[in-house]
This record gives sequence, C-alpha cells and structure tokens, in this order.
Amino acid sequence: MSTIHLQNLVKHFGPFTALKTMDLTIADGEFVALLGPSGCGKSTTMNMIAGMERPSEGRILFDGRDMAGVPMGRRGVGFVFQNYAIFTHLTVRQNLAYGLRATRRPVDEVNRRVSAMADLLQLTTMLDRPSAGLSVNILQRVAIGRSAVMEPSIFLLDEPLSNVDAAFRTVMRTELKALQRQFRQTMVYVTHDQLEAMTMADRIAVMDHGVLQQVGTPLEIYNDPANLFVARFIGSPGMNLLQGQPVETATGLALDLGPLGQTPPLSEPQVAALRQAQADVVYGFRPELVALVPEGQGMAMPITFVERIGARTILHLGQGSASAKVVLENDAGLQTGQVLHFAPLPHAIRLFEAASGIALKGA
Amino acid sequence: MAEIAFHNVTKRYGDMVAVDNASFTVADNEFFCFFGPPLSGKSTILRLILGLEKPDAGEILIDGKVVNAVSPAQRNIAMVFQNLALFPHMSAADNIRFPLIERNEAPAIIEARLKDAAEKLHIVHILHKMPGQLSGGERQRVAIARALVRDPAAYLMDDPISALDARLREETRVELKRIQREAGRTLIYVTHDQEEAMSVADRMAILEHGVIRQVGAPVEIYDNPATTYVARFLGSPTMNILPVQRVGEGYEAASGALRIQSQTVVGAAELGLRPEDLRVQPFAGKGSPATVAEVEPLGGYTVVTLTAGDVSLRAMVRGQPDLRVGVQVTLSCDPAKVIYFGASGTTLTRMRGVAQ
Repeated sequence: MSTIHLQNLVKHFGPFTALKTMDLTIADGEFVALLGPSGCGKSTTMNMIAGMERPSEGRILFDGRDMAGVPMGRRGVGFVFQNYAIFTHLTVRQNLAYGLRATRRPVDEVNRRVSAMADLLQLTTMLDRPSAGLSVNILQRVAIGRSAVMEPSIFLLDEPLSNVDAAFRTVMRTELKALQRQFRQTMVYVTHDQLEAMTMADRIAVMDHGVLQQVGTPLEIYNDPANLFVARFIGSPGMNLLQGQPVETATGLALDLGPLGQTPPLSEPQVAALRQAQADVVYGFRPELVALVPEGQGMAMPITFVERIGARTILHLGQGSASAKVVLENDAGLQTGQVLHFAPLPHAIRLFEAASGIALKGA
Repeated sequence: MAEIAFHNVTKRYGDMVAVDNASFTVADNEFFCFFGPPLSGKSTILRLILGLEKPDAGEILIDGKVVNAVSPAQRNIAMVFQNLALFPHMSAADNIRFPLIERNEAPAIIEARLKDAAEKLHIVHILHKMPGQLSGGERQRVAIARALVRDPAAYLMDDPISALDARLREETRVELKRIQREAGRTLIYVTHDQEEAMSVADRMAILEHGVIRQVGAPVEIYDNPATTYVARFLGSPTMNILPVQRVGEGYEAASGALRIQSQTVVGAAELGLRPEDLRVQPFAGKGSPATVAEVEPLGGYTVVTLTAGDVSLRAMVRGQPDLRVGVQVTLSCDPAKVIYFGASGTTLTRMRGVAQ
C-alpha cells in the first residue's frame, strides 16, 4: 500500500536542469503514466522515485514517509528498464525465482509464486529454457515477471516496451494492465508513446522540458488539453492548431484564419472567453472530429498526402504555411491535389491564447 | 531504374531456412515493404538483394539480369541500416560527401549532390553540425541523405526509423514517402510497425517463417487477407477470428452472440471480422448478449473488449461511448464485412461476399 508524493521536486545535472519543478500525488494502487518526448524529465523523475538519483530540491514521500537517504534496495520498489537485465546464464524459472530466493522465502512459496507469475505472463512452457537465446520480446516479459513476482507495493517501469516489436507491444499492454489489476501495486510508467499512456494509465502526467504540463485521466487530457504542447502531443495524429484573429461577421464573432478563410461563428462560451482574452488565438480541433461539408460551407484545404492505414485514412492538408490533418473512416477515394471541404464538429473546437499557448477557459 | 525480382530463392543457415522458395517482383520506382515478425526472413531478403548473402537456390534479378554472382559494390544499391552508422568524427556534410569522395567524384559534382540532397531532406541548416549534436530525427535524415547522394538504382532500408519517438516516426514516415516519390527510385523497406508499413508502401509482402504469405497493396491485404495468419498480423487491434457453427441459413459464433446470414458460404470453420466492423449496442433483451470486459478510450475511438461464451472479441467504436465493464450488450455486423476461413485457415470468400 503506497501513496507517492512528489513535492517541489527539482533536479540539476551541473548547469543543466533536467526537472524544473514537479508536484504530483500518485494514489495507492493508481497507474500513472509519465508521458513526454525525449529530454522532458520523465526518466529523471522516475530515477528519483526509485532512489537512483538524489533530488536537487524538494521531497519524495512514500505514504507520508520522506525517502531522502533511503537507498534503492530499501524503498520496496520494483523496477523494469527499457533494457531488460536478465541473467542469461540462468533459466527463465531461475530468473523469476531470483529475488524470492535472495530474500530466503520457503521453497514451496517460491515455486507457487513463480508458477503463478509464469502463468499470468504466458511463460509456463518456457520455464526451463535457458534465457540466452530467447527473443527480445520474451526477455522483456521475463524481466517484468522477475520484478512483479516480488509483489512490490510500487512498480516502476521505464519504457519497458520500446524495444519489443509493435505487435507484441499490444499484447504486453493488456498483460501489464492485468498484472496491475491483480496485484493493485502503485504503478508509475514512463513512456514517449501517447498510445501506451492512453490505453493503460488511470491518469497521465504530460511533461515537456522539465515541466509538468498537465495531469488528468486520458480522456480529460484528450478532450481538454491545458496548452498547445499537450494538444499536439496527445492523439494520433495530434490536434490541428491554426493561427486566427477574431473578426466580427454578420452571424457573430468568428476567427480569420488567413488564407484558409473564416471559421464558422464561435459558440457563446467561446465568444465570451475570446472577448475577455483580447488576443490572437489558436483554433484547435481533432483530426477525427471533423465533418465533410459541401463546397462553400466550412473550410477548404488541398490534400497534400494520403495515408491509408487499414480502416483509417489520414489526409494531410496544406495551404501556404498552414497545415492540418483529417482522419476519415471512409475516404471515398480522395486523392492528393483534391480540395477537401470540411468543418470541425462544433463541440470539438478548442481555443488557445496564441502568445502563451494556454487553453482559454470555458472555450 | 531498378526492377528487383526473386525467382524461387531459398537461403538456409545450417538447419534453419531463413528464406523459403521466395518469388516476387518489385517494380521500378515502387515503395515495397517487407513486413513480418522477428526472424521471418525480412532482413535476410535485404541482405540477399544487397549481395551480402548468396542464395542456396534460385535467382536474384536486377532489371532482368541475374545478379547472383555480382558483387555488392557492382549492384549499385544503397542501404540505410537501423543503427544509422554515421561517422561520429565527421560533420553531417562530410558524412553525406563520404560515399562520393570514395568514388572519386569531382568536387563540383559532390557539392551539387550534397546541396540537392540536403534541400530535399530539409537539413541545410544542420550540415555543419557533428552527429552528436543532432537529434535522432536529424541523424536519421543525414543518414538518408548519405544514401541519396550516391544516386543508386535502388534503396534498401532496414527499420530505419524504429529508434525515433512515436510522434517523430509518424512525421518521418510521410517524409520518407515524399522523398522516395521525388527521388523516383525503387525503395525496399523493412519494418515491424504495421501502421508504418501500411502508410508508406505501394505494395507489401507479408512473411511468416521465411515464406511469403501474401503480396499486394496494403488496403487490398487488409480487406482480403489470404489466410488467418495474414488477417491477424495486419490490423490493430487484431481481427476477431472466431470458430463458427452452421445454423439454419447462416453461421453463429461466440456462443450465439454473433449471428450472420449467409447462404453462399459453405464449409467455413472460422469467421473474421475487423474490430471497426463489429457493432456494439445496448442489450435488447433478445438473443445472446456479450459482456463488456474492458474499455480502452483512445479519444477519437474506444477499444472495447467483450466476452461471449468462452471467446473474447474486440470492437473499435467511434467516439467515447458510455460503456462500463460488466454491462451486457448486443453484437451485430454487416454480413458483407465478414470473411470466412476454411479448416486450414485459408480464406474462402473475398470481402463483400464475392466468391473467390
């Protein structure tokens, strides 16, 4: 049972500040993903939770207990890295049993827990195989099992799936979730892949340049990104963001998107937020929340590239320096060079202040 | 100009058959992708085309000429490896110049090619930097530029962008496709990321244990997989493949939770249905329900895992439906979206019910 409190956490490496400030509370039994691009500070945060790095400032509390000075081995955390560190001279069974043996658990308990874990991770048929020669996929599964079998109250995973192949990644996502449901550990998961975070996490902490950008459930972050960075980073593809200037039209306040023309009139709350902000804004909408409309209604942009990916088609649109993407389930044979007439669904439009990048409240 | 073909090519390593009697033709200027799980023979095929390996049987042809005995250097094929292999002590520009200097090209030609490639790849502004100062994506583009300046007959790329962040991969794959079209060269590409394969490939080959199972345009294979293996391997979440029983004028699966009318298909053992084609509605009180086991919201879509009898199914539902774990639902689908497989796992029908 472990709640993790990160309080005013800062980490410098010489002149470089890896983590500018971090405040986050992770509830007992919660699955939190630290999500961001390379260099955003997610692994640094994780390493400090694990006890591999010492914070430059701030505190880390487990269940209210300050972890300063507590070495990694005494923190009761399980840790799985990107590079599975498996003992290749041992069998799968010996690897899984390693931690339990080291803590001198009775033999029958070791056997019981190892076979239960092997069962959960589909390793049963491989238990007596030497680890050397197993595929990367299986080795990472063994690494997860070896850590999980200790039933740590806090389980830390740093990009555990980035070296396994794409098909296996899907399988492992399901297994990791099942694992967490069974043991109810507090799980902290570092990833740069928004899909992994969206599908597994109870809450996502989005990070960039050493700063926590937003914390929320996957849908909160998808539906209402706090700023332009989050809007762009979440979603596949990310949110479309077009520069606009407020203009009065016959039907109400709209945005002038330059060469793309004017947006449809904005909703009342959006108008209110816009009048209050008195600034240039960015007009945001999700590529998949778009309707095709007849010519002359809505926006028009030429198609610059078509990606057909199974059931989905991603249309890349470009006009001058403005670009956007639209995702359709049925593209009706649209081709590069054609002009797409479309309108974002009214409920899906989000506005951001252009200068600060922050989402306009109520818009 | 390069058309590349295999005629019944086999490559063994000891007892292991890495490539098993493979035949295919990659057309000139085509973006052709080999897609398969680890150790399915993808990389071996690239090595055979390059000439780094010799086939144990069969013929490899470039533009109609058998090249089995032609050395790698004479095949004029450029390779971009997974680990980009840039020289760390040379600037980006010198890395790109290197293959031309090695071939004793005139300085004016070298500079012209460098400029051309750098512009195509949008790296003019970073040419003076050392590899260590570049981001993963920039290093990637420098490596591609280095392959581009050689003006080869064809390019081979072995999972060249797998080391990049997910978001950068999505952007780079589109760029790769654009570069290939502009350069007008044959590009043979290996990846284990199916979204990437479907995005970039004009045509693709699906491999299993060294055997080519199907060749075609990505959409064609997606809609009409030849076997259950191919059906499962392409598409995410994977296709639902369920054992069926003949009942009256059709088939039923998932303990009766899914019933499909079909008078024309005979002898089906399994049916295949893509998650996006499985409809999920509130339980109407009639027939057999399925139960929601898991809900994964992706924002624009929601992946719903369902159980019915002893099978598990997945549906990809548009938007953010209000479905809770444990709720009973009614399943249905458009019969035209169902694929039927025989006992051997081979497809009996084509999509939209056309007999094969």
